[in-house]
Amino acid sequence: MAGSPDSALDTSLEHLLEAVAAGNRAAFEAVYRRTNVKLFGVALRILPERQEAEEVLQEVYLAVWRRAGAFDPARGTAMTWLITLARNRALDRLRASRRRPSDPIELAGDVPDPDPDAEQCALARDDATRVAWCMDRLDGDDARLIRTAFFEGASYADLASRAARPLGTIKSRIRRALIRLKECLA
Amino acid sequence: MSASDEDDLLAAELALGLLDEDEAAAARERLRHDAAFAHAHARWQSYAAGLAADLGETPPAHVWSAIEARLPANDDLRTSRQLWRAGAIAAALVVLALGINDWRRVHGAPPPQPAPVMAQAAPPLVAVLSGKSGVVSVSYDPADGRLASVVSGVAAGRRAVELWVIPADGRPRSLGVLAQDRAGWRAVPARATQVLRSGVTLAVSLEPAGGSPTGLPTGPVILTGKLTTAG
Repeated sequence: MAGSPDSALDTSLEHLLEAVAAGNRAAFEAVYRRTNVKLFGVALRILPERQEAEEVLQEVYLAVWRRAGAFDPARGTAMTWLITLARNRALDRLRASRRRPSDPIELAGDVPDPDPDAEQCALARDDATRVAWCMDRLDGDDARLIRTAFFEGASYADLASRAARPLGTIKSRIRRALIRLKECLA
Repeated sequence: MSASDEDDLLAAELALGLLDEDEAAAARERLRHDAAFAHAHARWQSYAAGLAADLGETPPAHVWSAIEARLPANDDLRTSRQLWRAGAIAAALVVLALGINDWRRVHGAPPPQPAPVMAQAAPPLVAVLSGKSGVVSVSYDPADGRLASVVSGVAAGRRAVELWVIPADGRPRSLGVLAQDRAGWRAVPARATQVLRSGVTLAVSLEPAGGSPTGLPTGPVILTGKLTTAG
């Protein structure tokens, strides 16, 4: 039914963000209801201390309220924008509140799934499913390094030091992995 | 036009956070004027967000309450509350005086004296709602279930000024669209009378002409205040 409170359920996240940019609080609440589980998951992955993750989640949604107008649908989906925002805020907090994580990364030398089902990947329409599938096809160490970069704000240099490998080695193996990832996702 | 393989890798490295600070700053600068590079970066950002596919956890309910409490209308309220507190009693008296005059005009007679027992049971309630600009004064007499309002300095344009009561359950109930250029009287809808108590939050939002089409605030909440016992 058009105009009913439940109609928010049928509205795309992109349209809801547009309404938030115009100051619509009902749309803002709908955005929160629809995305809080995912974004809290992202915040907790980066900041395992729950109190910190909760505070960052608040900041993320206040930023959504203030900056929804900065979302540009030509540059990707609303979900990507929100996840990127949550990830960046959580990393900012991580960097501000303490030294960067420096836990050693154990490179286990495990091998990827030998039986990739390419058809299944081709059928998956959304990026998230395809990325998950293609990440599973990578060498386990490479996948771990890529996840560590994204969720812990670890640069090539950080990864090299934490994995106790030369920078050049780390750099070239991740670049090779990114090329494989791109081919898989293409 | 698509980015070269080398540029595409650079876009991936930027999106995943692999570059050191100088490299990242240079790459971000390129985003501003290299459309193919920006496009490649956007695609990798989407892939990178896909790394969160298996993440998800429900935050505790108090996170949403905290977010709501920190929205700008409420921030403004916090700073302006002290300013308005001094004016609150005077404003409430204005409402009551205007209300009585209105009543005389409509009924051609002074308002009936409420029976003493009723007055003791439920004293009138008043609220002054403030925010970024403007003020709305409200008085409500439980004895007759009617609410008087004065709206001043609210730049609503062609939108309607709608009054809401937000009880502890957090579900707003409409108290109706307020008259904008004069004192107004209205009967309070039955579903809202039970929650009109001292201490409850009132809020004013801007809505399409005629009021919110959904039964919940759809426009910005511009003013808030608490209902308190008069006198």
